[in-house]
Amino acid sequence: MVFTLFFFSTSYSDSYVKASDTLIWDSENRKYTANGDVEFKNDKFIAYSDKMIANYIEENNEEIFTVVELFENVVIEFKDETFKGNHAIYTKDDNIIILTGDVSIESPTRLLTGYELIADIDNNKRILNSADKDSLVEVLLENDSNN
Amino acid sequence: MINFFIKRINLLVIFFLAIQIFIYFYNQRPLSENFSQKNITVENFSSIVLSKSGITKIGSEKLNKIDEDNIYLEGNSYLENKEYKIYGENIFIKLKEEISNSNEPVKVINSMGVLKSEGFKNLDNEGIIIFKGEVEFLID
Repeated sequence: MVFTLFFFSTSYSDSYVKASDTLIWDSENRKYTANGDVEFKNDKFIAYSDKMIANYIEENNEEIFTVVELFENVVIEFKDETFKGNHAIYTKDDNIIILTGDVSIESPTRLLTGYELIADIDNNKRILNSADKDSLVEVLLENDSNN
Repeated sequence: MINFFIKRINLLVIFFLAIQIFIYFYNQRPLSENFSQKNITVENFSSIVLSKSGITKIGSEKLNKIDEDNIYLEGNSYLENKEYKIYGENIFIKLKEEISNSNEPVKVINSMGVLKSEGFKNLDNEGIIIFKGEVEFLID
């Protein structure tokens, strides 16, 4: 039992970055660049893409990701939703993900497609724009206090 | 007669001056050919390297000094400074360029977490480390 708990605690991490080709740590510009089958997980979502650039700041001798940018074949899994697009940018300050290029939102009950998706995680709000700026689709989800 | 002695004395002075000049220039010649470095190997080695990025502590089971600018850390080795700790095997270091690299699995600890990869190249004077192959970075 103790061994199992120990193994679980050491093998599991809330946040991680995985890549199959390279991970470049640029400490002067404070960023990490991952290439090849990138997998990024934080306490909010898990994301997959071909490339990732993550900027960080240093606070109290700790490094914290502030902006995470994902390129090509982007897939983001958040609870029971899956967002797809060609490019995504996540900002930690406001917990907003903006996806662009052949965007889709898939959930157990629906599939929506468009050009740009703004996913406001804290406010549980999704705004889906089509390529034509005149048309706008806004989808409001039921509030969930567990977010 | 006096002129004869004066000429002789002048010749002697010139001769000794020539000898002095010869000795002076001979002593100024570099002696590198007599002290050319041979390969040096040290076991269970640790030391400190000063570079643009600060102080880096290095250590290994066996240190091989290839030449003046190249060091090979054989076996279990490490590089540590204020930003990271790199634990790996068989690490090459180019002192002048401040580059270190290895094609063996490496584990890195920094203030964000623990990173594992299949190799690395550290461009220390640019503040860039390239981790190669499958990379897993667990964030604290």
